[in-house]
Amino acid sequence: MKIGTALLASAVIGLFALGEVESAKADKLDDVINAGKVRCGVVLDFPPIGFRDANNEPAGFDVEYCKDLAAAMEVDYEILPLTWAERLPVIVTNRADVVFGATSDTLERAKTVGFTIPYAIYYAQAVVTRDSGIATFEDMKGKRVGAAVGTVPEIEFLKYAKEWGTEDLYQGFQSENEVFLAVAQGKIDAGITTNTAVKPITDQYENVIAGPRMPWTTDYTSVVGPRKDFGWLNYLNLFITHQVRSGRYQELWGQFVGGEAPDLRIPGVMY
Amino acid sequence: MEYTFHWRPVFNRLPDLLEAGLITLEVSALSMVIGIALGLGLALIRMSGNPAIAWFAIGWIEIARNTPALLQLFFFSFGLGAYGIHLTPYMVVLCGMAFNNAGYLAESFRGGFAAIPDTQMKAARSLGMTATQAYIRIIIPQVLRIVYYPMTNQMVWAVLISSLGMLVGFHELAGETQRQAFRSFRLFEFFLVTAVIYYVIVKIIILSSRLIAWRLFRY
Repeated sequence: MKIGTALLASAVIGLFALGEVESAKADKLDDVINAGKVRCGVVLDFPPIGFRDANNEPAGFDVEYCKDLAAAMEVDYEILPLTWAERLPVIVTNRADVVFGATSDTLERAKTVGFTIPYAIYYAQAVVTRDSGIATFEDMKGKRVGAAVGTVPEIEFLKYAKEWGTEDLYQGFQSENEVFLAVAQGKIDAGITTNTAVKPITDQYENVIAGPRMPWTTDYTSVVGPRKDFGWLNYLNLFITHQVRSGRYQELWGQFVGGEAPDLRIPGVMY
Repeated sequence: MEYTFHWRPVFNRLPDLLEAGLITLEVSALSMVIGIALGLGLALIRMSGNPAIAWFAIGWIEIARNTPALLQLFFFSFGLGAYGIHLTPYMVVLCGMAFNNAGYLAESFRGGFAAIPDTQMKAARSLGMTATQAYIRIIIPQVLRIVYYPMTNQMVWAVLISSLGMLVGFHELAGETQRQAFRSFRLFEFFLVTAVIYYVIVKIIILSSRLIAWRLFRY
């Protein structure tokens, strides 16, 4: 009897231990599948890539990508509306599994989170007031310029502002909407945003027009996940390539942005 | 939660943060100087008993004390902006904080004036002083002594609410921290160090105020 009890106890302990080993092995991919839900952080301050529609529901290219990912994994989805500044903290604090938020893949950020291959490509462009007199990038020298805080346009523009000695004329805003409002009010002469956001904004504000393209490099943006979850990042990489191969990437780009979707290729680089 | 701290990015940017700490001190001190002058004026207007002007002081004090400081900053930023008046982030924060400080200090001053016995004024007038002389030489020095510690509290409050400046694009300590932290998104490390800098600034203010009080109020 005693031997029987001991054997049973060992078996139970063994099973628990096995469970521990299994759960220790489980990565984000397993977690999402087992939870039956993928939590996507999406910036809804970035039309037409992420915004709220007439019914106040999340909509846009990034929102559709989240839905497609959930469909591919056969799980439900949850959209977490984010500000630009929250895109990385939600991953670090595990409030979201993945962020579709036009996040530029800088090497500094890559020390904190994991980036996939690029899933969308943008370039930075200004929106300016009608009477600002800004036609080229050089015209922005000495003008009041703004961008959303913590974004690549801010980091890149400040390099030029430092060179020009006009850092004092730059102002960071908490959201792109505040940047656009500031341009519309005449608080700043130019707001730097992404090319895809220019049309919706110039349509919205009468006195705001499209400004010059910014001189820095193309903005390669990636999907963001936890830095150490390689299985999950691999899955997301594959998801991005499948979106392109299936034609879904072009379809969604055409639907929300219009025209030909940019090639997701970095010239001279193989990845 | 699995998280590895990275302190190096913070220490590399420490000079920028300390420089921004000086800007925090500067704007807070300036807003206090303006706030004290305005607060004194508001308290005197409110106590004047003239309803034609007292409503102005009461309105100011009510709004400053009973609405969020952030909304007051937004008023000077986007509110005035809607009417084509564009202040720089520095001026937005300075005006917003001076407005807020004046509202709180006016009530401290009113309490200070109420604590001075009427006989002080009578005694001063009986010595041949005019009402203005009596106020400047007799009443206000005593009021300032009574409200000295509440003013110190207000200075500490000013330093702390100046951090709202980051929401209107001002690069004081919190704003600069946000800007630097968003390069690497090491928010926790950056804001932890910044909290320590705020703590040190506040402790320096309190210690200095005690030293000044010890020097001023020996007799």
